[in-house]
Amino acid sequence: MAEEKEKILQIRDLDITIHTAAGSVHAIQGVDMDLIRGETAAIVGESGSGKSITMKAVMGILAGNASVKGSIEFCCYHEDGRREKVDILKQDKKWIRKHMNGKQIAMVFQDPMTSLDPTMSIGKQVMEGMIWHFKMPKKEAWNRGVRLLEEVGIDDAQKRMKQYPHQLSGGQKQRVAIAIALACNPELLICDEPTTALDVTIQARILELVQRIQKERGLSVIYITHDLGVVAKVADYVNVMYAGKIVEKGRADEIFFDPRHPYTWGLLSATPDMNGMDRRLDPIPGSPPDLLHECAGDAFSPRNPYALVIDDKMAPPMFQITDTHFAATWLLDPRAPKVEMPKELKARLNRMRKEAREYGSKL
Amino acid sequence: MKNYILKRILTSFFTLLAILLVLFLLMQLMPGSPFHDEKLNQDQRMVLYAKYGLDQPLIVQFFNYVKNMLKGDFGVSYSISKNTPISQLIQTRLPISIRIGGTAVFLGTVFGLVLGLIAAFRQDTIWDVLATVISVIGVSVPSYVFALVLSYTLGFKMGLFPMIFKEKQALISSVLPSIALSMFTTASIARFTRSEMAEVLGSDYMLFAESKGISGAALIFHHGFRNALIPVITVLAPLAADLMTGSLVVEKIFSIPGVGSLLVNAIQSNDYNVAIALCFLYSAMYIGLMLVVDILYVVIDPRIRLSRGEIHL
Amino acid sequence: MKRRKPNRCKTILEAEAYVPADSDFRLKDNREEMVPDASFTVQSVWLDAAKGYVQKASAVIGLVFIILIGIMAAAGPGMNAYTYSEQYLSQKNFAPRVRVLENFGIFDGGEVLKTGAGTKVVNRYKEKNLENVYYWFGSDNFGRDIWTRTWLGTRVSLIIAVAATVIDMVIGMSYGLISGYFGGWVDMVMQRFLEIANGIPRLVVVTLLLMALEPGMLTVMLALMLTEWMGMSRIARAEMLKLKEQEFVLASRTLGAGCFFIIFREILPNIMGPIITQVMFSIPTAIFTEAFLSFAGLGIPVPQCSLGSLIAEGFNSFTAHPYQIIPPIAVMALLMLSFNLAADGLLKALDPKRKEV
Repeated sequence: MAEEKEKILQIRDLDITIHTAAGSVHAIQGVDMDLIRGETAAIVGESGSGKSITMKAVMGILAGNASVKGSIEFCCYHEDGRREKVDILKQDKKWIRKHMNGKQIAMVFQDPMTSLDPTMSIGKQVMEGMIWHFKMPKKEAWNRGVRLLEEVGIDDAQKRMKQYPHQLSGGQKQRVAIAIALACNPELLICDEPTTALDVTIQARILELVQRIQKERGLSVIYITHDLGVVAKVADYVNVMYAGKIVEKGRADEIFFDPRHPYTWGLLSATPDMNGMDRRLDPIPGSPPDLLHECAGDAFSPRNPYALVIDDKMAPPMFQITDTHFAATWLLDPRAPKVEMPKELKARLNRMRKEAREYGSKL
Repeated sequence: MKNYILKRILTSFFTLLAILLVLFLLMQLMPGSPFHDEKLNQDQRMVLYAKYGLDQPLIVQFFNYVKNMLKGDFGVSYSISKNTPISQLIQTRLPISIRIGGTAVFLGTVFGLVLGLIAAFRQDTIWDVLATVISVIGVSVPSYVFALVLSYTLGFKMGLFPMIFKEKQALISSVLPSIALSMFTTASIARFTRSEMAEVLGSDYMLFAESKGISGAALIFHHGFRNALIPVITVLAPLAADLMTGSLVVEKIFSIPGVGSLLVNAIQSNDYNVAIALCFLYSAMYIGLMLVVDILYVVIDPRIRLSRGEIHL
Repeated sequence: MKRRKPNRCKTILEAEAYVPADSDFRLKDNREEMVPDASFTVQSVWLDAAKGYVQKASAVIGLVFIILIGIMAAAGPGMNAYTYSEQYLSQKNFAPRVRVLENFGIFDGGEVLKTGAGTKVVNRYKEKNLENVYYWFGSDNFGRDIWTRTWLGTRVSLIIAVAATVIDMVIGMSYGLISGYFGGWVDMVMQRFLEIANGIPRLVVVTLLLMALEPGMLTVMLALMLTEWMGMSRIARAEMLKLKEQEFVLASRTLGAGCFFIIFREILPNIMGPIITQVMFSIPTAIFTEAFLSFAGLGIPVPQCSLGSLIAEGFNSFTAHPYQIIPPIAVMALLMLSFNLAADGLLKALDPKRKEV
């Protein structure tokens, strides 16, 4: 059992500051995160909450104007079966490119229209990583490329290899992007809003594809998303991010059925219900804070209807709720008044739970 | 793609035909043309008419005219160098102009690319600022101002290069004019390259390629250059064509016996025949250049190669 | 409603020292303060653009120089008693001399001449005992005041460039808007014509015009008009294609508005940004074209002058009297630089997406 619970990724005290002309932005403020091998984690939050930056740090593709502190430990197996833990932040870019990117960790980007090189044929882009990392002969790479395309569900793979990105539809492009990411057998796949730019009907198929491949290959997957629908469908573990911090994390069922942070309540209330039972959505008022100006206290407090006086004075620590469930809100302090989640949300979550049982989804 | 190329060739052909028609009509109307010379008597005029087929219907005349022009038979000069065939006048001058223009395009492209790439890769550093300043100045200041400055400093004050073009020292005397002419090209290409490359460097596909583990030269060559430099080809053609205009003045400053100075001469001394011949020559070169570049662009860029020809038209 | 500034924030250090008291654990009840964002739509596009423009130093410098040169072009020729055509043959090729500055050893009317025996300093004012004669920029080969001629030339060049560009704008814009709005065969015919017209090199158009017409201001303007409108029409057409499918146009059409009302009253105001930018870029091109024509002797006839013809005159003796060519060249270079900088700033202010580039 110990073997199964092995952590593939362990982020500790990740702190990222981005220096821009307008000033320094403290984009990530002390993020801790774990991922267990073979499982799926989701990072959820509004735009600008720092989801993508965290994962770019894991990939080692942050822009040059970012300074990073903390540690990102990745556990990888060498070809001879040796296990090694590497702190990605301690390695230089060259090393990361050579040993990590593609081979250990791969990424799929949000918009397949822009993430594929428009002037390079699909085949070349699929083969590129294999030839680069494994010095694979062209013929072999081609054959593997065709198999990869078939694996991600692209018909007529031989023909597609010779085509260019603009000749494919959005969904096909995202499949190709996934095939490219899988080309060098990575252990960890990071999907940065992989379905946001696609049609609703295609979104589900792409998610199913990733789930299938995950099962077949035993991949670990991290989803970056603002779509709780995606999270409910695929995630084992959820990290809710707000203004560069993780405000609540736990197993998916805990987050969905026993959310504790007012921000998570807000996110859940703002998600459309699939069966349209709710008459209205409750948006979270206001917009995410400007990270150029650092605040004392809880960054969410100005938008939080359940804010306490203390929230303006001091940032809340992480309170532990269960073995796996944590939330950073003063509401969990024993001294705090007892605040329940909104009634409407509660009713809705109950309904969702019932549905989930009926359809046998992950929750 | 084939459709697109065919369309481009047709357009070019019609453009050339339109120009020829205008030139032909001008030729008929111009008082200074050889056919209207009052010194000719009736017989001589008839001989001339017969020679150029002017006794035939206008449409036949036009076809003959087109045929002659395409063969390179432009008639004779009227006042610059009396009765010398124009093709002969052009023959000695064209190589000089082409050599200087070609050198300028070459220098401009090379320097422009280098400057633009440095600026893109070293964004927001002193190199970037320097390259931007050079390109803004190069775009803004006309080539003949550079020519004058170069000729005054390097030519007159320092005596490093001849101020006046000498046939015997063709190489060293084309240095200054070529540099002066290349400034605009350098600046435009640098500017364009910088913005294209900066866009490519910030693009998702570069990030995606990096996330595959591609780095260093392979990243830049396989993904960067191809995407950034294909569009540069499109600006190169108009730039090369614009050099013809620029060379007109630069040729005057350095007293280069090229085509540009011939044209100025022809206009000033009302030698319509020569001017019209040169107009045809310029148009043909310009249209040809544009056609070649457009086709080249289509062949190189798969987006256009595979879509424009199929979907549009 | 203004966006709340995070002014209530204290620094992190202060906060870390804070020990929470029991009284802190009560609901703040701040429902009142929480308002959905209303700050996004209030500011006008033009105000934003103006702000973006002012923030760019080079653009402001460009604009300032354009205004300065414009003022000088208007007032400069009247600032001394000389006229542009009056010739004082006894006072030719005088070096620049300015009243106060002459005491500091610059602009004192002296110039270095190269002779067979070496170089020597000549001051023609002193040689001829002209105590009270001052040519601020010197005098030319015919004894005309270069100051007056430079600013007058600037005026002529500016008028030609601006007038030609404005007419270009009107022609090109109308062409592009009509072609884009009607689409179909109208667009097809108009675009084919444009392609053919575009295939004729500018030099050829100009040459043919010069052969057919008398050289002069009007011919130069006509030449500029015939060659510059195409770029403008391309932009107008592209913008039109973007806009014509939008709801406000549809709304106008369902209300029964006529084609030309929609084109010129509904769409035109929405594409002024790109058009004005294009105008700003076209003006230096026009100035350049005019100057090159005049320099080649194909432009403004003497004794009138433009920057180009002044440069051409100065060129004839520029090794002997470089001061004669410096003023027109400097003004011209500065003018073109300023227009380019200003246009660049405008482009980026009106099209913020390009800011990242």
